[in-house]
Amino acid sequence: MSLALDRYAHLDSPLHRWEPRCKLIGLLALIFAFAFVESWFLIPVILGISAGLMSLSRLPLRFFLRRLRYPGLFLLVVVMALPWLSGTTVLWQWGTLTLRQEGLVATGLIASRFVSILCLGLVLFGTTPFLTLIRTLRSLRLSPVLTDIALLTYRYLFDVSTMLAQMQQAMRLRGFQLRCPKGGLRPSRRFPSRQDCQQLAALMGTLLIRSYEQSERTYQAMRLRGHGQLQPALIGITLTPSTQPQQRWSILGGVIAVLIAVSILVIEGLT
Amino acid sequence: MHIPDGFLPAQVCAGGYALTGLITWVSLRQIHRQPDVTADIPKAALLTAGFFVASSIHIPVPPTSLHLMLGGLLGAILGYYAFPSILIGLFFQAIMFSHGGLTTLGVNAVIMGVPALIAWRVFRLYPQLTRWLSLRVSVGVCGFLAGALGVGLAAVLFLGIALTALPTGLDAATERAALMGLTLAHLPLMLLEGGFTLLLVQFFLQVKPEMIGAGSQQRAQSWPSPSE
Repeated sequence: MSLALDRYAHLDSPLHRWEPRCKLIGLLALIFAFAFVESWFLIPVILGISAGLMSLSRLPLRFFLRRLRYPGLFLLVVVMALPWLSGTTVLWQWGTLTLRQEGLVATGLIASRFVSILCLGLVLFGTTPFLTLIRTLRSLRLSPVLTDIALLTYRYLFDVSTMLAQMQQAMRLRGFQLRCPKGGLRPSRRFPSRQDCQQLAALMGTLLIRSYEQSERTYQAMRLRGHGQLQPALIGITLTPSTQPQQRWSILGGVIAVLIAVSILVIEGLT
Repeated sequence: MHIPDGFLPAQVCAGGYALTGLITWVSLRQIHRQPDVTADIPKAALLTAGFFVASSIHIPVPPTSLHLMLGGLLGAILGYYAFPSILIGLFFQAIMFSHGGLTTLGVNAVIMGVPALIAWRVFRLYPQLTRWLSLRVSVGVCGFLAGALGVGLAAVLFLGIALTALPTGLDAATERAALMGLTLAHLPLMLLEGGFTLLLVQFFLQVKPEMIGAGSQQRAQSWPSPSE
């Protein structure tokens, strides 16, 4: 399980230097404006904006391609069926196979929105360290309960993932085998027996119990450090300090992004 | 059952966020009524991480394999924390693996979170069953129903949203066939998820009964009171 979120957050680019609050507001405004796009002539615009921000971010292309792989497969399966099943205007027919215009248009729209939104999301989260993101959300008045749960979940996700890998290895060493012996990725050719299911349930249950017990230790450690007695830890921590000109550029960038988003919505509303 | 970005009309995404905001607000209000909120936050966080990782365990179902959603079990254990926990889990899935999406986060949270809350209420009925059945059987029955409902309701919501919101214009016969096919495909999943939830709640009852709120009942059945 690849859990690394901050892999490219250390790079240096205008997107990395953009003040997190302005970046979050600006890019989220663009993302939601892209979701409203229904007109064909706006498709090159949103794809162009995404491509421009991707190149400005200096994130490697393989980062985008890797993240696009899984949802891309889903897109391929679901959306590629639309031109053949949806619509009434027939463009081409061969036996029972009929290509329809409305389905083709819907496919193009969905695929373009999907790619542009996903790439902007990757730019946002690829250029912002996760801790900074949580602080930004807290500074934008998101509930402390939600931000604390998110922060602790992220902190322990790696530990729990390692714990699962160790438990699975221990099970294999004791002879438990559900997958093909040669390749770990190929699924088994037989259905799991009742005993297999009980062992898998015990694996999941033990993982959850260990997580639960870890949470009790974590809470005790937090109490000993004064958690709950003072102001929540993240309030009052300033975000990345930035110079005056940098701050001006950040605000300007945020305003431009919001203006573009509003323009897209207005154009979409007029057509 | 994660709807990716770009698939749904923006109005549906906005509606999903509005509903998610409302349910999160209600959940947080109930959470703040607890005597010690800070004690429960690490539990919710660690169990969110636990569920996130546990749901990646693949169950071989030839010729492929599948993973469990565990929404019903999550509801049964976390109660009011279930919805915020699912919201955060989906957020992590969206930003780490691009499963689901940012614009569809609200809709996906409703699809998986509402069934988890309903499953929680169903699971909480087990003390009433103990009048007729043993604690182990009562917990098992309610666990099975919670697990199966968690998947079944999520599948109904997912299919409902997918078929009504996708800009298709499918003909009625195709739409009916798709609906029937997908519903039938989810029936074995409901049974599998229900079965695993049953095994898991019985495991918790045996090893850590306080996780499912059955600590006092378990002690009462194991240790007769002095008057007896």
